[in-house]
Amino acid sequence: MAEQSPLLEIKSLDAGYGGLPVLHGISLRVERAELVVVVGPNGAGKSTLFKTISGIVTPTAGKIAFDGENLLAVPPHARAHLGIAHVPEGRQVFPSLSVHENLEIGASTRAGRTAWNENREKIYTLFPILAERGRQLAGTLSGGEQQMLAIGRGLASAPKLLMLDEPSMGLAPAVADEIFERIVAIHRDTHVSVLLVEQRVAEALHFATRGYVLETGKVILEGDNKALADTARIRRAYLGM
Amino acid sequence: MFARGRDRNWAWIAAFVGAYALVAVFVGNSYYQLIMTVVLVWAVMGLAWNLLSGYSGLVSFGHAAFFGLGAYFVVLAQIEWQLSPWLGIPAASILGGIAGLVVGLPTFRLRGHYFALAMLAYPLALLYVFEWLGYQEVAVPMMRASPTAYLQFADGRIYIFVALALTLGAMVLTRVLERSRYGMALLAIKQDEIAAEAAGIDTLAWKLRAITLSGALAAAIGGFYAVVQLVVTPLSVFGVLVSAQALIVAMFGGVGTVWGPIIGALTLVPLSAFLDAKLAEVLPGIQGVVYGVAIIAVVMLAPEGVFWKVRDLVAGRGMSARANYTPPGTAPPIDFAPRPARDGAPILAVRGLAKSFGGLKAVDDVSLDVRRGEILGIIGPNGAGKTTLFNLLNGFIAADAGSITLEGMDITRRRPSTRCRLGIGRTFQVVKPFRRMSIADNVIVGALAHTRTDAEARALAHAALVELGISQDSHLPAGEITNKELRLMELARALASRPKLLLLDEIFAGLSAAEIEELMAPIRRLCAAGLTIVIIEHTMQAMVQLVDRFVVLDHGAVLAAGSPDEITRNPAVIEAYLGKKWLTHG
Amino acid sequence: MTAAQHVENVLQFLVAGLLTGAIYGLMCVGLSIIFGVMRVINFAQGEFMMIGMYFAYFVFGASGQPLFGDVLGPYVAALLAGPAVFGVGVAVHRLLVGRVTGFRSTTLEAEGHYAQLILTLGISLLLANGALVVFGAAPLSITTPLASTPWVVGPLHGEDILLFVNQGQTVAAAIAVAVVGAFAILMARSRLGRALRAAADNPNAAVYMGIDVDRAYRIAFGLGCAVTAIGGGLLASSYPVQPTIGIDYVIVMYAGVVLGGLGSLRGAFLGGLTIGLVQQLSALVLPNQLQNTAIFVCFLLVVLLRPQGLFGIAARRA
Repeated sequence: MAEQSPLLEIKSLDAGYGGLPVLHGISLRVERAELVVVVGPNGAGKSTLFKTISGIVTPTAGKIAFDGENLLAVPPHARAHLGIAHVPEGRQVFPSLSVHENLEIGASTRAGRTAWNENREKIYTLFPILAERGRQLAGTLSGGEQQMLAIGRGLASAPKLLMLDEPSMGLAPAVADEIFERIVAIHRDTHVSVLLVEQRVAEALHFATRGYVLETGKVILEGDNKALADTARIRRAYLGM
Repeated sequence: MFARGRDRNWAWIAAFVGAYALVAVFVGNSYYQLIMTVVLVWAVMGLAWNLLSGYSGLVSFGHAAFFGLGAYFVVLAQIEWQLSPWLGIPAASILGGIAGLVVGLPTFRLRGHYFALAMLAYPLALLYVFEWLGYQEVAVPMMRASPTAYLQFADGRIYIFVALALTLGAMVLTRVLERSRYGMALLAIKQDEIAAEAAGIDTLAWKLRAITLSGALAAAIGGFYAVVQLVVTPLSVFGVLVSAQALIVAMFGGVGTVWGPIIGALTLVPLSAFLDAKLAEVLPGIQGVVYGVAIIAVVMLAPEGVFWKVRDLVAGRGMSARANYTPPGTAPPIDFAPRPARDGAPILAVRGLAKSFGGLKAVDDVSLDVRRGEILGIIGPNGAGKTTLFNLLNGFIAADAGSITLEGMDITRRRPSTRCRLGIGRTFQVVKPFRRMSIADNVIVGALAHTRTDAEARALAHAALVELGISQDSHLPAGEITNKELRLMELARALASRPKLLLLDEIFAGLSAAEIEELMAPIRRLCAAGLTIVIIEHTMQAMVQLVDRFVVLDHGAVLAAGSPDEITRNPAVIEAYLGKKWLTHG
Repeated sequence: MTAAQHVENVLQFLVAGLLTGAIYGLMCVGLSIIFGVMRVINFAQGEFMMIGMYFAYFVFGASGQPLFGDVLGPYVAALLAGPAVFGVGVAVHRLLVGRVTGFRSTTLEAEGHYAQLILTLGISLLLANGALVVFGAAPLSITTPLASTPWVVGPLHGEDILLFVNQGQTVAAAIAVAVVGAFAILMARSRLGRALRAAADNPNAAVYMGIDVDRAYRIAFGLGCAVTAIGGGLLASSYPVQPTIGIDYVIVMYAGVVLGGLGSLRGAFLGGLTIGLVQQLSALVLPNQLQNTAIFVCFLLVVLLRPQGLFGIAARRA
């Protein structure tokens, strides 16, 4: 019945670091082919949520199901093989590996290996610069190029769920716009589910199916994009007006 | 820390020394007498190691350098100049202290692994030098005419008593230092060197003091060891096993406490000596095996040593043992802002400040003034360079270009601890508590910079705690308190360094709206009293009610500056935050 | 001494330095892979080298009957030390080192690092003294016909300069270079090498990409021990084997690795080569006993004078 259940379903999740709790009773779901956005101020627990899904942070309570399977029983490194691609905050490409090698590392999942030839072409079409810079070390790319590589690396694993943590962070506005466009194109063309943490709230909400607002480790607001975009609370949360 | 009143440790120390002496009186067998002496030698060597590494966390693998220098000095001084060890040992300790300073000055540029590795090289280099000098085996000359004057006794028990006196001295020294600002400063460095430096602790100066004392003690006991063993060889005093033994007795017993090295030496030295005596013929390396296994077992099973393990089991979890703060009765109120308020003159002037990491311009030609008595908000999206700017202002990173002037004084090249003492206090985006210390002790660390005596520091810290309304919880260990309390504690720590200018880095991050309100009250109060405050925030929400003026950073550069009203209406700012769509949706 | 004799001396030590340095370079590569991938300072590295030496000694023919002939035997034995010590390294990692240095603990503050630092010191003491218990303190040597036959180069420059190049050492150095080359290809080209480099660059991101980082660390530790052990095995045909030999060489190795730039394999090899040269050439101006002191001083100078380079690597991780 895997097809009936949401792709990702999180129920009453508590998690934190070294005894200090960060997430309190988070519940969240991502349906197939949805683009779900998570917004909230710094320290609200957005990255911790992603790390918990990836297994770098171990939850103290709650459940995570992915594709109908209990994700918490799966060791962290095996989660990528199930179809979760985590594009972390601050890009985190492998700086001493070439662009091409970074993509190959991404493609080391089972699904990614099978579809590698096809995916490579897709990634290069999305981000032509990566094809140009194939032999260059990733550490020498500009911030925007690194972000493209990080997303490409995630796509190379042929994921069912693409998790993007602040892909526009620290990028010049024009570059951020470009990145955002590609994310939307990826979602539109491949029907991969996307879970997006973003601070460019307007863009994120405009393209998202649904959204969640996180504050102090709790979901304080959720709904579809229209409802969220209209709430004054978002405006207040980010601009204080 | 800094606790007054009765301390049962003194009674325990007296009891230990008394009991050891009593047992010694009844030991007639000269072999057992020797072991009882050697146990104390390694206990003192462990205490010497502990003085540096146990408290500061800088692991030394090279204490044999000091031990060996002391041993050779005492023997050679007696041979060459007929200097009695009674004088030679104190002289050796001076030599050891100087050696500590000489080793420390360059080596403290290194941290962590590199420090440990570099320390390993010193005794090994000395070992070959002493071999080359022809000191393969130097014997202490027998002084049959006046043995006592040369620390030579027919009765082995006397050696135990002399060793016990040295041990007592080392224990008292450790205990006194541990409870003074020395202990506080080193513990703070151990837990978070960056936070310590920001709180005004001159970390290099404290580390140098520590290695000087530690080297002096190690050299003294090395000199005594030479007298006891009668023969000194390079391997027996400079060998790796000597450094390792110092580290192992301390780690096994427990680091950062006077009891650790004692427990470690009492357990391991007799064990290895016993096995060595029984098995050395068939199993020549058994002593090293014992130490190897001991250290592996400790790291795997009780990484902090037997003392703390037992203590935790007895006292329950938590480090309450180290949180023995008692608030001083009635502290005189301290005015944290003795400055004339709001004359509008800039207290801090930043001109053309720039910093790049690789190709990324994190801070790009930033110029701004902070006016005396204002609350300035620095906002900007993630990655805009806000924290980098703070790190430049308080000195954690060096600017590529530009200048920073505090009250007319150029501070662009000053150390963070110096800037703190000149009046820049700060808090951190991710709180940097000294986890193993109580709230009060954390704040006392901040107070060390501007106080001479421990009592003054205690009073100042208490005043800061009262000011922020957390004095009643101040005995709690910082590792066990809530985010809000941590933020308040860090604010108190910064306040205790008597800043003129406070830099608050996302102090509201991860707090609920109600908690933010609670935290805003004291900030407003401090500002009203004349303190100048710069706050970094990611969002503007809380800030519009708090600040007088905003500076908006985007991509490392100043995007806009002005009053809250102007800023929230500025289209460039709205776009940077919410995106273009927001404007078109409008 | 005449000028020609001086030149002959220098050349002789230069050759000796290059031949020893090639093997040091190999040992440094072993250390470098462990540090590069795991950021673990392995103090027991010298003991893994020592194990390699004993392994080569016994496989070659403690029995008096060389297993693979007395010409090739020492080298085959040295190469076999690789897989054998790989197993030992993996076991040590699984049982001890991995328990305190999983990728999770690398994300914590310094405390985890100190634990493994001190743990490897304990392992070093245990292995060195354990070897003393098992093998005794007496130095053992492998004697081969190659090691006692030099090639004679010259006479050069008229009749004045005569160079002796030890055949055994030359073969050993050539093998060392070959092993380094093979290892470099493994790291650069293979899937395993790529995964190890990714885990080294960013363990968290590697986990996100489906790499089992704990396993990668284990393999890296085993490989590092194995490579150093091969170096030890090669050294065993020209230097006597002793249980406590490791500690001197651990400094030699760190000197080389630090000199070449932490984490870089090519740098580690060149660093080791340089240390070999420093050690041999120092004999020109220093008494024999101070050769090792020269290395330690060289090491201290490198560590102290180039800390920005060291911190560069350390800070990237932090």
